[in-house]
Amino acid sequence: MIRAIDGDALRTGDGRSRQAAPLVRVRILRQDVAGGESYWERFEVPHEPNMNVISLLQKIAAAARTQDGRRVAPVAWDCSCLEEVCGSCTMLINGRTRMACSALVDKLLEENGGEVELRPMSKFPVVRDLVVDRRRLFRSLERVQAWVPVDDSYDHGPGPRISPEQQQDAYPLSECISCGCCLEACPQFTKIEPVLRDGESDADFEARRRQAFDAAFLGAHAISQAMLFNSHPTGGMIADERMESLTGRGGIQICGNAQNCVAVCPKRIPLTRSIARAGRAATVWAIKKLFDR
Amino acid sequence: MSETPPFLERHQFLIYRLFSLAGLVPVGAFLAVHLLTNASVLGGAASFQSRVDLIHSLGPLLVPVEVAFIFLPIMFHAAVGFVIIANGMPNVGSYPYVGNVRYALQRATGMVAFAFIVWHIIQLHWLGAPLGGGQFDPHYATSTAAVALQPTWVTILYAIGILAAVFHFANGLWTLGITWGIWTSPAAMRRANVISIVVGVGLAAAGLGALGGMRAVDVEQARAVETWMHEQLERQQPPTAEPAPVAAARKED
Ligand code: SF4
Ligand code: SF4
Ligand code: FES
Repeated sequence: MIRAIDGDALRTGDGRSRQAAPLVRVRILRQDVAGGESYWERFEVPHEPNMNVISLLQKIAAAARTQDGRRVAPVAWDCSCLEEVCGSCTMLINGRTRMACSALVDKLLEENGGEVELRPMSKFPVVRDLVVDRRRLFRSLERVQAWVPVDDSYDHGPGPRISPEQQQDAYPLSECISCGCCLEACPQFTKIEPVLRDGESDADFEARRRQAFDAAFLGAHAISQAMLFNSHPTGGMIADERMESLTGRGGIQICGNAQNCVAVCPKRIPLTRSIARAGRAATVWAIKKLFDR
Repeated sequence: MSETPPFLERHQFLIYRLFSLAGLVPVGAFLAVHLLTNASVLGGAASFQSRVDLIHSLGPLLVPVEVAFIFLPIMFHAAVGFVIIANGMPNVGSYPYVGNVRYALQRATGMVAFAFIVWHIIQLHWLGAPLGGGQFDPHYATSTAAVALQPTWVTILYAIGILAAVFHFANGLWTLGITWGIWTSPAAMRRANVISIVVGVGLAAAGLGALGGMRAVDVEQARAVETWMHEQLERQQPPTAEPAPVAAARKED
Protein backbone atom coordinates (compact mmCIF):
# COMPACT_ATOMS: atom_id res chain seq x y z
CA MET A 1 0.00 0.00 0.00
CA ILE A 2 2.78 2.35 1.00
CA ARG A 3 4.68 1.45 -2.15
CA ALA A 4 1.94 3.29 -4.03
CA ILE A 5 3.14 6.66 -2.67
CA ASP A 6 4.23 9.05 -5.29
CA GLY A 7 7.40 10.16 -3.55
CA ASP A 8 8.36 12.72 -6.20
CA ALA A 9 4.96 14.32 -6.08
CA LEU A 10 5.33 14.69 -2.33
CA ARG A 11 8.64 16.42 -2.72
CA THR A 12 7.28 18.92 -5.21
CA GLY A 13 5.04 20.14 -2.43
CA ASP A 14 2.08 20.92 -4.66
CA GLY A 15 -1.25 20.72 -2.90
CA ARG A 16 -2.92 18.10 -5.05
CA SER A 17 -0.19 15.48 -4.61
CA ARG A 18 -0.11 16.12 -0.90
CA GLN A 19 -3.72 15.17 -0.58
CA ALA A 20 -2.90 11.96 -2.35
CA ALA A 21 -0.41 10.98 0.39
CA PRO A 22 -1.56 7.62 1.72
CA LEU A 23 -2.84 7.46 5.26
CA VAL A 24 -1.31 5.33 7.95
CA ARG A 25 -3.97 3.55 10.01
CA VAL A 26 -3.25 3.44 13.75
CA ARG A 27 -5.18 1.63 16.46
CA ILE A 28 -4.47 2.76 20.02
CA LEU A 29 -5.59 1.23 23.30
CA ARG A 30 -6.47 4.25 25.43
CA GLN A 31 -7.26 4.76 29.09
CA ASP A 32 -8.27 8.06 30.67
CA VAL A 33 -7.24 7.51 34.27
CA ALA A 34 -5.24 5.04 36.33
CA GLY A 35 -7.39 2.02 37.08
CA GLY A 36 -10.03 3.14 34.57
CA GLU A 37 -11.53 1.26 31.62
CA SER A 38 -9.48 0.95 28.49
CA TYR A 39 -10.91 1.37 25.01
CA TRP A 40 -9.68 1.31 21.41
CA GLU A 41 -9.58 4.31 19.13
CA ARG A 42 -8.55 4.51 15.48
CA PHE A 43 -6.59 7.32 13.90
CA GLU A 44 -5.31 8.12 10.45
CA VAL A 45 -2.12 10.00 9.78
CA PRO A 46 -0.65 11.12 6.45
CA HIS A 47 2.34 8.96 5.67
CA GLU A 48 5.81 10.47 5.59
CA PRO A 49 9.02 8.69 4.66
CA ASN A 50 11.09 7.37 7.61
CA MET A 51 8.40 8.05 10.19
CA ASN A 52 8.81 6.43 13.57
CA VAL A 53 6.15 5.78 16.18
CA ILE A 54 6.96 8.99 18.08
CA SER A 55 6.46 11.16 14.99
CA LEU A 56 3.28 9.24 14.34
CA LEU A 57 2.08 10.01 17.86
CA GLN A 58 3.02 13.67 17.52
CA LYS A 59 0.77 13.96 14.47
CA ILE A 60 -2.05 12.15 16.24
CA ALA A 61 -1.75 14.49 19.22
CA ALA A 62 -1.66 17.56 16.99
CA ALA A 63 -4.82 16.57 15.11
CA ALA A 64 -6.58 15.09 18.15
CA ARG A 65 -9.26 13.64 15.89
CA THR A 66 -10.19 10.01 15.42
CA GLN A 67 -10.52 8.35 12.05
CA ASP A 68 -14.21 9.24 11.92
CA GLY A 69 -13.50 12.89 12.70
CA ARG A 70 -14.47 12.95 16.39
CA ARG A 71 -12.49 15.46 18.50
CA VAL A 72 -10.77 13.63 21.36
CA ALA A 73 -8.19 14.40 24.01
CA PRO A 74 -4.67 14.04 22.55
CA VAL A 75 -3.12 10.63 23.13
CA ALA A 76 -0.51 10.72 25.94
CA TRP A 77 2.84 8.91 25.79
CA ASP A 78 6.32 9.07 27.32
CA CYS A 79 9.55 9.82 25.50
CA SER A 80 12.65 11.88 25.90
CA CYS A 81 15.89 11.09 24.11
CA LEU A 82 14.47 9.88 20.77
CA GLU A 83 17.56 7.76 20.25
CA GLU A 84 17.02 4.66 22.35
CA VAL A 85 19.06 5.69 25.38
CA CYS A 86 16.57 7.04 27.93
CA GLY A 87 14.34 3.97 27.98
CA SER A 88 11.13 5.92 28.56
CA CYS A 89 9.18 5.22 25.35
CA THR A 90 8.57 1.47 25.76
CA MET A 91 5.16 0.31 24.53
CA LEU A 92 3.52 -2.68 22.88
CA ILE A 93 3.84 -2.00 19.19
CA ASN A 94 2.02 -4.53 17.05
CA GLY A 95 1.78 -6.68 20.15
CA ARG A 96 5.49 -6.77 20.86
CA THR A 97 7.36 -4.72 23.45
CA ARG A 98 9.82 -2.24 21.94
CA MET A 99 10.99 1.35 21.87
CA ALA A 100 8.66 3.75 20.07
CA CYS A 101 11.50 6.06 19.06
CA SER A 102 13.34 3.39 17.09
CA ALA A 103 10.29 1.62 15.64
CA LEU A 104 9.97 2.61 11.99
CA VAL A 105 6.44 2.90 10.68
CA ASP A 106 7.14 1.41 7.24
CA LYS A 107 8.45 -1.78 8.80
CA LEU A 108 5.53 -1.93 11.20
CA LEU A 109 3.04 -1.62 8.36
CA GLU A 110 4.66 -4.50 6.52
CA GLU A 111 4.63 -6.57 9.68
CA ASN A 112 0.99 -5.96 10.57
CA GLY A 113 -0.96 -5.86 7.31
CA GLY A 114 -0.98 -2.09 6.82
CA GLU A 115 -1.93 -1.01 10.34
CA VAL A 116 0.03 0.05 13.40
CA GLU A 117 -1.29 -1.11 16.77
CA LEU A 118 -0.19 0.64 19.97
CA ARG A 119 -0.87 -0.52 23.51
CA PRO A 120 0.61 0.48 26.87
CA MET A 121 2.93 -2.04 28.54
CA SER A 122 0.86 -4.75 30.23
CA LYS A 123 3.09 -5.45 33.25
CA PHE A 124 2.94 -1.95 34.72
CA PRO A 125 -0.06 0.10 35.88
CA VAL A 126 -1.33 2.51 33.23
CA VAL A 127 -1.21 6.18 34.22
CA ARG A 128 -2.88 7.41 31.07
CA ASP A 129 -3.08 6.08 27.50
CA LEU A 130 0.43 4.84 26.67
CA VAL A 131 2.04 6.21 29.84
CA VAL A 132 2.76 3.61 32.53
CA ASP A 133 4.10 3.71 36.07
CA ARG A 134 7.43 1.88 36.07
CA ARG A 135 8.29 2.45 39.73
CA ARG A 136 8.69 -1.28 40.29
CA LEU A 137 11.48 -1.45 37.71
CA PHE A 138 13.48 1.15 39.65
CA ARG A 139 12.60 -0.42 42.99
CA SER A 140 14.20 -3.65 41.72
CA LEU A 141 17.41 -1.74 40.99
CA GLU A 142 17.31 -0.41 44.55
CA ARG A 143 16.76 -3.89 45.93
CA VAL A 144 20.01 -5.11 44.36
CA GLN A 145 21.86 -1.82 45.00
CA ALA A 146 22.67 -1.38 41.35
CA TRP A 147 25.37 1.21 41.93
CA VAL A 148 28.92 1.60 43.20
CA PRO A 149 28.57 2.74 46.81
CA VAL A 150 30.48 5.96 47.36
CA ASP A 151 28.85 7.65 50.29
CA ASP A 152 31.43 10.08 51.59
CA SER A 153 33.47 12.93 50.24
CA TYR A 154 36.94 11.75 51.31
CA ASP A 155 39.59 11.17 48.72
CA HIS A 156 40.28 7.46 48.85
CA GLY A 157 42.86 7.62 46.12
CA PRO A 158 42.53 5.90 42.77
CA GLY A 159 40.40 2.77 42.65
CA PRO A 160 41.67 -0.64 41.60
CA ARG A 161 42.48 -1.06 37.93
CA ILE A 162 40.13 -2.94 35.64
CA SER A 163 41.63 -5.16 32.97
CA PRO A 164 40.55 -4.68 29.36
CA GLU A 165 39.02 -8.18 29.47
CA GLN A 166 36.91 -7.32 32.49
CA GLN A 167 35.93 -4.07 30.87
CA GLN A 168 34.87 -5.85 27.67
CA ASP A 169 32.79 -8.25 29.69
CA ALA A 170 31.11 -5.54 31.73
CA TYR A 171 30.49 -2.93 29.06
CA PRO A 172 27.50 -4.59 27.39
CA LEU A 173 25.75 -4.90 30.75
CA SER A 174 26.28 -1.20 31.43
CA GLU A 175 24.24 -0.36 28.34
CA CYS A 176 20.93 -1.15 30.05
CA ILE A 177 18.50 1.74 29.55
CA SER A 178 15.90 0.59 32.13
CA CYS A 179 13.28 0.36 29.43
CA GLY A 180 11.54 -2.67 30.94
CA CYS A 181 11.20 -4.62 27.67
CA CYS A 182 12.77 -7.63 29.39
CA LEU A 183 10.13 -7.44 32.13
CA GLU A 184 7.23 -6.94 29.76
CA ALA A 185 8.11 -10.08 27.79
CA CYS A 186 8.96 -12.24 30.81
CA PRO A 187 6.27 -14.82 31.58
CA GLN A 188 7.46 -14.90 35.19
CA PHE A 189 7.10 -11.15 35.73
CA THR A 190 3.46 -10.36 36.41
CA LYS A 191 1.71 -7.05 36.97
CA ILE A 192 1.35 -5.54 40.44
CA GLU A 193 -1.23 -2.77 40.68
CA PRO A 194 -2.25 -2.00 44.26
CA VAL A 195 -5.43 0.04 44.66
CA LEU A 196 -5.84 2.71 47.36
CA ARG A 197 -8.13 1.41 50.10
CA ASP A 198 -10.87 3.46 51.73
CA GLY A 199 -9.35 5.64 54.43
CA GLU A 200 -5.78 4.49 53.73
CA SER A 201 -3.17 7.21 54.15
CA ASP A 202 -0.72 7.92 51.34
CA ALA A 203 2.14 6.70 53.51
CA ASP A 204 0.40 3.41 54.27
CA PHE A 205 -0.47 2.93 50.62
CA GLU A 206 3.11 3.58 49.62
CA ALA A 207 4.37 1.11 52.26
CA ARG A 208 1.96 -1.54 51.01
CA ARG A 209 3.08 -0.98 47.43
CA ARG A 210 6.72 -1.27 48.50
CA GLN A 211 5.98 -4.52 50.29
CA ALA A 212 4.25 -5.98 47.26
CA PHE A 213 7.18 -4.98 45.04
CA ASP A 214 9.75 -6.44 47.41
CA ALA A 215 8.04 -9.83 47.55
CA ALA A 216 7.82 -10.12 43.76
CA PHE A 217 10.28 -11.08 41.03
CA LEU A 218 13.21 -8.70 40.53
CA GLY A 219 13.34 -9.14 36.76
CA ALA A 220 16.14 -9.77 34.32
CA HIS A 221 17.41 -6.17 34.23
CA ALA A 222 18.09 -6.08 37.98
CA ILE A 223 19.73 -9.51 38.00
CA SER A 224 22.02 -8.36 35.20
CA GLN A 225 22.84 -5.08 36.95
CA ALA A 226 23.62 -6.95 40.16
CA MET A 227 26.11 -9.08 38.22
CA LEU A 228 27.59 -5.94 36.62
CA PHE A 229 28.23 -4.24 39.95
CA ASN A 230 29.39 -7.42 41.65
CA SER A 231 32.05 -7.78 38.98
CA HIS A 232 33.26 -4.23 39.57
CA PRO A 233 36.18 -4.05 42.03
CA THR A 234 34.65 -1.27 44.10
CA GLY A 235 31.04 -2.18 43.50
CA GLY A 236 31.89 -5.76 44.49
CA MET A 237 32.61 -4.62 48.04
CA ILE A 238 28.92 -5.10 48.78
CA ALA A 239 28.63 -8.23 46.63
CA ASP A 240 27.31 -10.22 49.60
CA GLU A 241 24.45 -7.79 50.12
CA ARG A 242 23.50 -8.14 46.48
CA MET A 243 23.62 -11.94 46.77
CA GLU A 244 21.28 -11.67 49.76
CA SER A 245 18.77 -9.84 47.54
CA LEU A 246 19.29 -12.15 44.58
CA THR A 247 18.56 -15.20 46.72
CA GLY A 248 15.82 -13.51 48.74
CA ARG A 249 12.11 -13.45 48.03
CA GLY A 250 11.38 -12.83 44.36
CA GLY A 251 15.02 -13.41 43.53
CA ILE A 252 16.83 -15.33 40.84
CA GLN A 253 14.91 -18.53 41.63
CA ILE A 254 11.74 -17.13 40.06
CA CYS A 255 13.31 -17.04 36.59
CA GLY A 256 11.83 -19.84 34.48
CA ASN A 257 14.47 -19.72 31.72
CA ALA A 258 12.06 -18.74 28.99
CA GLN A 259 14.78 -16.44 27.63
CA ASN A 260 12.31 -13.92 26.23
CA CYS A 261 14.18 -11.17 28.03
CA VAL A 262 17.29 -11.59 25.94
CA ALA A 263 15.24 -11.85 22.75
CA VAL A 264 13.47 -8.50 23.24
CA CYS A 265 16.19 -6.38 24.88
CA PRO A 266 16.73 -3.40 22.54
CA LYS A 267 20.34 -3.10 23.72
CA ARG A 268 21.02 -6.80 23.10
CA ILE A 269 22.32 -7.26 26.63
CA PRO A 270 23.39 -10.87 27.28
CA LEU A 271 20.75 -11.28 29.96
CA THR A 272 20.66 -15.06 30.03
CA ARG A 273 24.41 -15.12 30.56
CA SER A 274 23.95 -12.75 33.50
CA ILE A 275 21.12 -14.90 34.83
CA ALA A 276 23.18 -18.10 34.59
CA ARG A 277 26.14 -16.35 36.22
CA ALA A 278 23.86 -15.15 38.98
CA GLY A 279 22.65 -18.75 39.32
CA ARG A 280 26.22 -19.94 39.67
CA ALA A 281 27.06 -17.19 42.17
CA ALA A 282 23.90 -18.09 44.11
CA THR A 283 24.91 -21.76 44.20
CA VAL A 284 28.34 -20.87 45.59
CA TRP A 285 26.82 -18.31 47.94
CA ALA A 286 24.29 -20.78 49.35
CA ILE A 287 26.97 -23.42 49.98
CA LYS A 288 29.23 -20.84 51.60
CA LYS A 289 26.43 -19.65 53.84
CA LEU A 290 25.67 -23.21 54.86
CA PHE A 291 29.23 -23.96 55.92
CA ASP A 292 30.43 -20.56 57.12
CA ARG A 293 27.80 -19.82 59.69
CA MET B 1 5.42 -2.28 59.84
CA SER B 2 6.83 -4.90 57.52
CA GLU B 3 5.58 -8.27 58.72
CA THR B 4 7.71 -11.37 58.49
CA PRO B 5 6.90 -13.09 55.24
CA PRO B 6 5.33 -16.57 55.36
CA PHE B 7 7.62 -19.60 55.74
CA LEU B 8 7.40 -20.61 52.08
CA GLU B 9 8.45 -17.14 50.95
CA ARG B 10 11.25 -16.81 53.47
CA HIS B 11 12.77 -20.04 52.17
CA GLN B 12 11.77 -19.54 48.58
CA PHE B 13 15.30 -19.83 47.19
CA LEU B 14 16.02 -23.06 49.05
CA ILE B 15 12.67 -24.59 48.13
CA TYR B 16 13.05 -23.75 44.43
CA ARG B 17 16.57 -25.14 44.38
CA LEU B 18 15.45 -28.34 46.11
CA PHE B 19 12.63 -28.53 43.59
CA SER B 20 15.15 -28.24 40.76
CA LEU B 21 17.45 -30.83 42.33
CA ALA B 22 14.61 -33.26 43.02
CA GLY B 23 13.73 -33.15 39.33
CA LEU B 24 17.18 -34.56 38.55
CA VAL B 25 17.73 -36.83 41.54
CA PRO B 26 15.87 -38.82 42.51
CA VAL B 27 12.91 -38.22 40.16
CA GLY B 28 14.75 -37.86 36.84
CA ALA B 29 17.24 -40.58 37.68
CA PHE B 30 14.35 -42.86 38.58
CA LEU B 31 12.65 -42.10 35.27
CA ALA B 32 15.79 -43.07 33.37
CA VAL B 33 16.30 -46.30 35.33
CA HIS B 34 12.61 -47.14 35.08
CA LEU B 35 12.47 -46.73 31.30
CA LEU B 36 15.75 -48.60 30.74
CA THR B 37 14.59 -51.44 33.00
CA ASN B 38 11.36 -51.69 31.06
CA ALA B 39 13.22 -51.66 27.78
CA SER B 40 14.91 -54.87 28.91
CA VAL B 41 11.70 -56.62 27.88
CA LEU B 42 13.08 -56.33 24.37
CA GLY B 43 15.58 -58.99 25.50
CA GLY B 44 12.79 -61.38 26.40
CA ALA B 45 10.48 -62.13 29.32
CA ALA B 46 13.23 -63.65 31.47
CA SER B 47 15.46 -60.62 31.09
CA PHE B 48 12.72 -58.27 32.33
CA GLN B 49 11.61 -60.69 35.07
CA SER B 50 15.13 -61.01 36.48
CA ARG B 51 15.40 -57.22 36.72
CA VAL B 52 12.06 -56.97 38.49
CA ASP B 53 13.19 -59.76 40.84
CA LEU B 54 16.33 -57.77 41.58
CA ILE B 55 14.25 -54.74 42.59
CA HIS B 56 11.90 -56.89 44.64
CA SER B 57 14.82 -58.58 46.41
CA LEU B 58 14.66 -55.51 48.70
CA GLY B 59 11.73 -57.36 50.28
CA PRO B 60 10.12 -55.43 53.15
CA LEU B 61 12.42 -52.46 52.44
CA LEU B 62 10.95 -51.92 48.99
CA VAL B 63 7.91 -49.91 50.04
CA PRO B 64 9.79 -47.53 52.40
CA VAL B 65 12.44 -47.02 49.71
CA GLU B 66 9.78 -46.32 47.09
CA VAL B 67 8.02 -43.85 49.36
CA ALA B 68 11.17 -42.02 50.43
CA PHE B 69 13.00 -41.90 47.12
CA ILE B 70 10.22 -41.88 44.56
CA PHE B 71 6.80 -41.01 45.92
CA LEU B 72 7.66 -38.11 48.25
CA PRO B 73 10.14 -36.44 45.87
CA ILE B 74 7.64 -36.63 43.00
CA MET B 75 4.93 -35.16 45.22
CA PHE B 76 7.25 -32.37 46.36
CA HIS B 77 8.36 -31.62 42.80
CA ALA B 78 4.76 -31.63 41.60
CA ALA B 79 3.46 -29.45 44.45
CA VAL B 80 6.11 -26.76 43.90
CA GLY B 81 5.64 -27.17 40.17
CA PHE B 82 1.94 -26.35 40.39
CA VAL B 83 2.75 -23.23 42.43
CA ILE B 84 5.21 -22.18 39.73
CA ILE B 85 2.68 -22.81 36.97
CA ALA B 86 0.03 -20.83 38.84
CA ASN B 87 2.36 -17.84 39.18
CA GLY B 88 3.53 -17.69 35.57
CA MET B 89 1.82 -16.17 32.57
CA PRO B 90 2.80 -17.98 29.35
CA ASN B 91 2.83 -15.59 26.39
CA VAL B 92 3.84 -17.73 23.44
CA GLY B 93 1.25 -15.97 21.27
CA SER B 94 3.03 -12.62 21.52
CA TYR B 95 6.60 -13.93 21.74
CA PRO B 96 6.84 -17.17 19.74
CA TYR B 97 10.54 -17.77 20.40
CA VAL B 98 11.99 -21.26 20.82
CA GLY B 99 12.93 -20.67 24.45
CA ASN B 100 9.45 -19.41 25.23
CA VAL B 101 7.78 -22.38 23.51
CA ARG B 102 9.98 -24.67 25.59
CA TYR B 103 9.01 -22.74 28.73
CA ALA B 104 5.32 -23.33 27.94
CA LEU B 105 5.88 -26.96 26.96
CA GLN B 106 7.82 -27.59 30.16
CA ARG B 107 4.73 -26.59 32.12
CA ALA B 108 2.28 -28.46 29.90
CA THR B 109 4.33 -31.68 29.90
CA GLY B 110 4.78 -31.43 33.66
CA MET B 111 1.02 -31.45 34.13
CA VAL B 112 0.47 -34.22 31.56
CA ALA B 113 3.22 -36.36 33.07
CA PHE B 114 1.82 -35.86 36.57
CA ALA B 115 -1.71 -36.86 35.54
CA PHE B 116 -0.26 -39.85 33.69
CA ILE B 117 1.81 -41.01 36.66
CA VAL B 118 -1.22 -40.87 38.97
CA TRP B 119 -3.29 -42.97 36.55
CA HIS B 120 -0.38 -45.31 35.80
CA ILE B 121 0.15 -46.12 39.47
CA ILE B 122 -3.52 -46.53 40.34
CA GLN B 123 -4.10 -48.72 37.30
CA LEU B 124 -1.12 -51.05 37.76
CA HIS B 125 -1.12 -51.20 41.54
CA TRP B 126 -4.71 -51.34 42.56
CA LEU B 127 -7.54 -51.02 40.15
CA GLY B 128 -6.39 -52.93 37.12
CA ALA B 129 -9.00 -53.59 34.46
CA PRO B 130 -11.58 -50.93 35.49
CA LEU B 131 -8.99 -48.26 34.63
CA GLY B 132 -7.91 -50.05 31.48
CA GLY B 133 -5.60 -53.00 30.94
CA GLY B 134 -4.98 -54.84 34.18
CA GLN B 135 -2.96 -55.02 37.38
CA PHE B 136 0.76 -55.63 37.55
CA ASP B 137 2.12 -58.62 39.45
CA PRO B 138 5.87 -58.52 40.08
CA HIS B 139 5.99 -62.35 40.06
CA TYR B 140 4.58 -62.40 36.57
CA ALA B 141 6.14 -59.13 35.46
CA THR B 142 6.17 -59.48 31.70
CA SER B 143 2.88 -61.29 31.24
CA THR B 144 0.86 -59.01 33.51
CA ALA B 145 2.45 -55.85 32.11
CA ALA B 146 1.76 -57.11 28.59
CA VAL B 147 -1.91 -57.74 29.43
CA ALA B 148 -2.22 -54.32 31.07
CA LEU B 149 -0.89 -52.60 27.96
CA GLN B 150 -2.88 -54.50 25.32
CA PRO B 151 -5.82 -52.10 24.73
CA THR B 152 -4.90 -49.62 22.02
CA TRP B 153 -6.13 -46.61 23.96
CA VAL B 154 -3.97 -47.63 26.92
CA THR B 155 -0.95 -47.87 24.64
CA ILE B 156 -1.68 -44.42 23.20
CA LEU B 157 -2.02 -42.86 26.66
CA TYR B 158 1.23 -44.52 27.71
CA ALA B 159 3.02 -43.19 24.66
CA ILE B 160 1.77 -39.66 25.46
CA GLY B 161 2.70 -40.01 29.13
CA ILE B 162 6.17 -41.36 28.37
CA LEU B 163 6.94 -38.65 25.81
CA ALA B 164 5.68 -35.91 28.14
CA ALA B 165 7.80 -37.19 31.03
CA VAL B 166 10.88 -37.56 28.83
CA PHE B 167 10.53 -34.07 27.32
CA HIS B 168 10.02 -32.62 30.79
CA PHE B 169 13.14 -34.36 32.06
CA ALA B 170 15.40 -33.59 29.09
CA ASN B 171 14.33 -29.94 28.85
CA GLY B 172 14.50 -29.67 32.62
CA LEU B 173 18.06 -30.92 32.51
CA TRP B 174 18.96 -28.01 30.27
CA THR B 175 17.24 -25.37 32.42
CA LEU B 176 18.67 -26.94 35.56
CA GLY B 177 22.15 -26.27 34.20
CA ILE B 178 21.26 -22.59 33.80
CA THR B 179 19.56 -22.40 37.18
CA TRP B 180 22.58 -23.78 39.01
CA GLY B 181 25.01 -21.91 36.81
CA ILE B 182 26.64 -24.95 35.25
CA TRP B 183 26.42 -23.57 31.71
CA THR B 184 26.49 -19.80 31.58
CA SER B 185 27.60 -18.61 28.15
CA PRO B 186 25.31 -18.86 25.12
CA ALA B 187 27.80 -21.25 23.46
CA ALA B 188 27.87 -23.52 26.51
CA MET B 189 24.07 -23.44 26.60
CA ARG B 190 23.98 -24.56 22.97
CA ARG B 191 26.35 -27.45 23.69
CA ALA B 192 24.33 -28.43 26.75
CA ASN B 193 21.24 -28.31 24.59
CA VAL B 194 22.72 -30.98 22.31
CA ILE B 195 23.36 -33.18 25.36
CA SER B 196 19.77 -32.71 26.53
CA ILE B 197 18.46 -33.63 23.09
CA VAL B 198 20.57 -36.80 23.02
CA VAL B 199 19.37 -37.76 26.50
CA GLY B 200 15.78 -37.01 25.52
CA VAL B 201 15.85 -38.93 22.25
CA GLY B 202 17.60 -41.87 23.95
CA LEU B 203 15.09 -42.07 26.77
CA ALA B 204 12.16 -41.63 24.40
CA ALA B 205 13.50 -44.55 22.35
CA ALA B 206 13.89 -46.67 25.49
CA GLY B 207 10.40 -45.78 26.70
CA LEU B 208 8.63 -46.35 23.41
CA GLY B 209 10.75 -49.46 22.81
CA ALA B 210 9.61 -50.85 26.15
CA LEU B 211 6.02 -50.08 25.27
CA GLY B 212 6.29 -51.78 21.88
CA GLY B 213 8.17 -54.68 23.46
CA MET B 214 5.44 -55.22 26.04
CA ARG B 215 2.77 -55.24 23.37
CA ALA B 216 4.71 -57.76 21.29
CA VAL B 217 4.98 -60.23 24.16
CA ASP B 218 3.27 -63.63 23.78
CA VAL B 219 1.48 -63.70 27.13
CA GLU B 220 1.18 -67.51 27.37
CA GLN B 221 4.83 -68.15 26.71
CA ALA B 222 5.95 -65.29 28.99
CA ARG B 223 3.91 -66.82 31.78
CA ALA B 224 5.56 -70.19 31.14
CA VAL B 225 8.99 -68.57 31.43
CA GLU B 226 8.03 -66.78 34.64
CA THR B 227 6.66 -69.96 36.21
CA TRP B 228 9.79 -71.86 35.23
CA MET B 229 11.98 -69.14 36.75
CA HIS B 230 10.08 -69.28 40.03
CA GLU B 231 10.42 -73.05 40.19
CA GLN B 232 14.15 -72.68 39.71
CA LEU B 233 14.27 -70.12 42.54
CA GLU B 234 12.28 -72.34 44.84
CA ARG B 235 14.79 -75.12 44.28
CA GLN B 236 17.41 -72.58 45.48
CA GLN B 237 19.04 -72.86 42.13
CA PRO B 238 18.99 -69.55 40.38
CA PRO B 239 18.98 -70.26 36.65
CA THR B 240 22.48 -69.99 35.26
CA ALA B 241 21.67 -70.40 31.63
CA GLU B 242 18.82 -68.79 29.73
CA PRO B 243 15.89 -71.21 29.83
CA ALA B 244 14.81 -72.71 26.57
CA PRO B 245 11.39 -71.08 26.07
CA VAL B 246 12.84 -67.57 26.32
CA ALA B 247 13.65 -67.07 22.70
CA ALA B 248 10.12 -68.07 21.78
CA ALA B 249 8.53 -65.89 24.42
CA ARG B 250 8.12 -63.04 22.01
CA LYS B 251 5.91 -63.11 19.01
CA GLU B 252 7.69 -63.54 15.73
CA ASP B 253 8.33 -60.09 14.40
S1 SF4 C 1 14.90 -16.07 31.22
FE1 SF4 C 1 14.00 -15.61 33.20
S2 SF4 C 1 13.99 -13.41 33.35
FE2 SF4 C 1 14.28 -13.93 31.19
S3 SF4 C 1 12.23 -13.92 30.33
FE3 SF4 C 1 12.70 -15.96 30.99
S4 SF4 C 1 11.86 -16.17 33.01
FE4 SF4 C 1 12.00 -14.00 32.55
S1 SF4 D 1 18.04 -5.28 30.22
FE1 SF4 D 1 17.53 -4.62 28.16
S2 SF4 D 1 15.32 -4.85 28.04
FE2 SF4 D 1 15.85 -4.92 30.19
S3 SF4 D 1 15.63 -2.84 30.95
FE3 SF4 D 1 17.76 -3.08 30.33
S4 SF4 D 1 17.85 -2.42 28.22
FE4 SF4 D 1 15.71 -2.74 28.69
S1 FES E 1 12.69 8.17 23.69
FE1 FES E 1 14.43 7.54 24.83
S2 FES E 1 14.46 5.43 24.40
FE2 FES E 1 12.86 6.09 23.12
